[in-house]
Amino acid sequence: MTDLGRRSLLRGGAGLGLGLLAAPALTACGTANSAPVTSGPVDISLWTHDPGYITTFETAVTEAALTRGSRFDFGVDITNAAPTDIVTRMIAQAVADGDTPDLAGIVIDQFPRVMVPGIAEHLFTDLTETVRPFGDDLAKLAPYTVDGVPYGLDSDNSITVYYYRRDLFDKHGVPEDVETWEELAEHGERLHTDHEISLGMVSTAGNLAIVNGFLQFLLQRGGSLFDEHGEITLPSAEAVEVLEFMARGVRSGFLLALPDPYGSACGAALKSGRLAATAMPNWYNVYGLQANVPDQKGRWRMRTLPRFTGGGHIASTMGGTAFTVLKNKAHSHAALELLRRVYLTREGQLLRYRAGGYLPTLRPLYQDPELLGTKDEFLGQRVFEVYGPAADDLPLFHQDAGMQILAAVLGGPVLDALKGRTSPAAAVEDGLSAYREQVKR
Amino acid sequence: MTSPLTTRAEPVTGHRAASAPPAPRPSWWQRHQRALAPYVFLSPFYVLYGLFLLVPIGVGVYLSCTEWAGLGTPRWVGLRNYRDLMSDGSFWTSVRNTSLYVVFTMCVVVPAALLIAQALNARGLRGRDMFRLAYFMPVVISPIVVTLVFGLVFDTEFGLANGLLEAAFGFGGIDWLGDPAWARVTVVILVLWRWTGYLTIFFLAGLQNVPKELYEAAAIDGAGPVRRFWAVTLPSLRPVTAFVAVTVLISTAQIFEEPFLLTQGGPGESTLSVAMFIFRAGFERQQLGYAAAAGVLLFLAVFTLGLLALRALKVGRDQ
Repeated sequence: MTDLGRRSLLRGGAGLGLGLLAAPALTACGTANSAPVTSGPVDISLWTHDPGYITTFETAVTEAALTRGSRFDFGVDITNAAPTDIVTRMIAQAVADGDTPDLAGIVIDQFPRVMVPGIAEHLFTDLTETVRPFGDDLAKLAPYTVDGVPYGLDSDNSITVYYYRRDLFDKHGVPEDVETWEELAEHGERLHTDHEISLGMVSTAGNLAIVNGFLQFLLQRGGSLFDEHGEITLPSAEAVEVLEFMARGVRSGFLLALPDPYGSACGAALKSGRLAATAMPNWYNVYGLQANVPDQKGRWRMRTLPRFTGGGHIASTMGGTAFTVLKNKAHSHAALELLRRVYLTREGQLLRYRAGGYLPTLRPLYQDPELLGTKDEFLGQRVFEVYGPAADDLPLFHQDAGMQILAAVLGGPVLDALKGRTSPAAAVEDGLSAYREQVKR
Repeated sequence: MTSPLTTRAEPVTGHRAASAPPAPRPSWWQRHQRALAPYVFLSPFYVLYGLFLLVPIGVGVYLSCTEWAGLGTPRWVGLRNYRDLMSDGSFWTSVRNTSLYVVFTMCVVVPAALLIAQALNARGLRGRDMFRLAYFMPVVISPIVVTLVFGLVFDTEFGLANGLLEAAFGFGGIDWLGDPAWARVTVVILVLWRWTGYLTIFFLAGLQNVPKELYEAAAIDGAGPVRRFWAVTLPSLRPVTAFVAVTVLISTAQIFEEPFLLTQGGPGESTLSVAMFIFRAGFERQQLGYAAAAGVLLFLAVFTLGLLALRALKVGRDQ
């Protein structure tokens, strides 16, 4: 027998190491064969970034009205993680056949990552049959639909409304029922010249925030970034018009340029009264206004968005989080049933509104007497009198796997247009050509 | 010639052989025990080195030649990812930005750290420990907190920087984070603020080891402070300087936190670094093969630059 040399030993060690590594990879080739749980106690593993959803689901599993008649005795095992980490870890765990969640909350701007071919259809349960009975009554499925198949249910309609300081509007003679943005812009220009007060804001830091701000106006005007087939629809007269409107607003001071709508600079603008109004979604009431200026309770009001003279809607949308059910897991049936009970029933939607202020995604609920009678403490008004008409005229938002690329390449040109460094038409063209260049790969 | 011992032993051996069963053949382990022992003792290092360094590098190189979104089987595309990188404007933007950060760090941060260390090393300096603490503090503060504070300091409308400029010079409308050129300046200011104090500690340790006799001899020869700095301090600090320069070069070439947290690579891609480019491709766009290819190129660049710097500065060699 030959002596064992250093070289052969190292070769053996390398082989062993590769073998150890190959083991989990080979295991991953198999399928998760856990027997499905069909009844009895079940702890649903839930990953989410938002404490509001934790409250929602923890409350939901204890609500008799929600769980009555179920074969399952629900519990939830919650993991709280950053939005990007939820997707990254879920995919990594799926590759390793590891511990994926049963229910995952995916923030809307992270969802394009799973729209890449081969991910959503392998990871998530097809919700087509689950949502079929609701037809058009169920809103906001479009952003989470891949090749015509819905994979996520949104937690919130994220309806953009116009928040404004009623006291400052009264003081400076701005009518609360201004009909159009163009008319409001004239008041804004006057207010900025005379009092350094702005009646709206645009984001200038971070490509995603910049593009989201633009997208919000664009959707309201009737434009879009992608259609339902994932084709880019950015180059349009509406896109140029909206960008011109925003750039003009920044130039005149009607719109205040801030890094983002939540941070310290925005807080300072709100506190000082320099920002007296803004178009933001419903969740901004809690995360923007109440978080930054709780002392201004009762001074703020909200209304539907002024229209663009050229047409469009009286509302827009920005943000959201879809809950998806991981497929082929022992708890998949139970998770789907829990999701259905919390997201597709009147009781569940009311509970979500009470737990975190999430607006119903079922359209008929905007006429629900309980919600219509709800008075918002901070704003001091019956908010569903505003949300109702807005929900009826909510634009559809479609996205695609290329959304992240578009946000990255469009942010710079949009900012250039807002700052007057380029024309709106050139900005749209620049963003489009950069996008086409990058998706070519 | 036969030794007496052998002669005496032979009959005994023969008797045992005749009366007892043959001795069992030593096992494979017993025969190779002595030869294997050193390798067994060394093996934890090699196993860990292989598993956690060589194998990931190998997998990374393999991935760089594939198209993979994270699930399913990677599709082999050969060198296409590398070819695409060569024609990707965003990649070259990130290379230019990273080069700027590296040049700035080498030319400004390292000298600044040396000068601060020299000042802190001055005889009779009061509050030396307080200064050391103050300069070292930025590196131990959470980068999240740092960028939040910097975001507020450099805000165009409400920022402290513009407020000070307005008060002192009558102008303060600099768009620090919104203008591409100023955004780069802001990132390098953050790098300067964050890392200078940390590097100062290395130089300070080096300065305290410079023999005082050298300064005394230089002073006797008539050298002033500047001449002493050039003729005594700098040559004595050469090993420390070389170490600092190489480590700073390598770490800055992989800069991520500062631009990611302060500007998210924007406006547009004006502050995008190569490490951010890789992160974006891998974890925002699920282009893991493309990200791996960029990672391999970054590795090669950093490795080559590091090697060149090591040789040029003669780190680890006798003077």
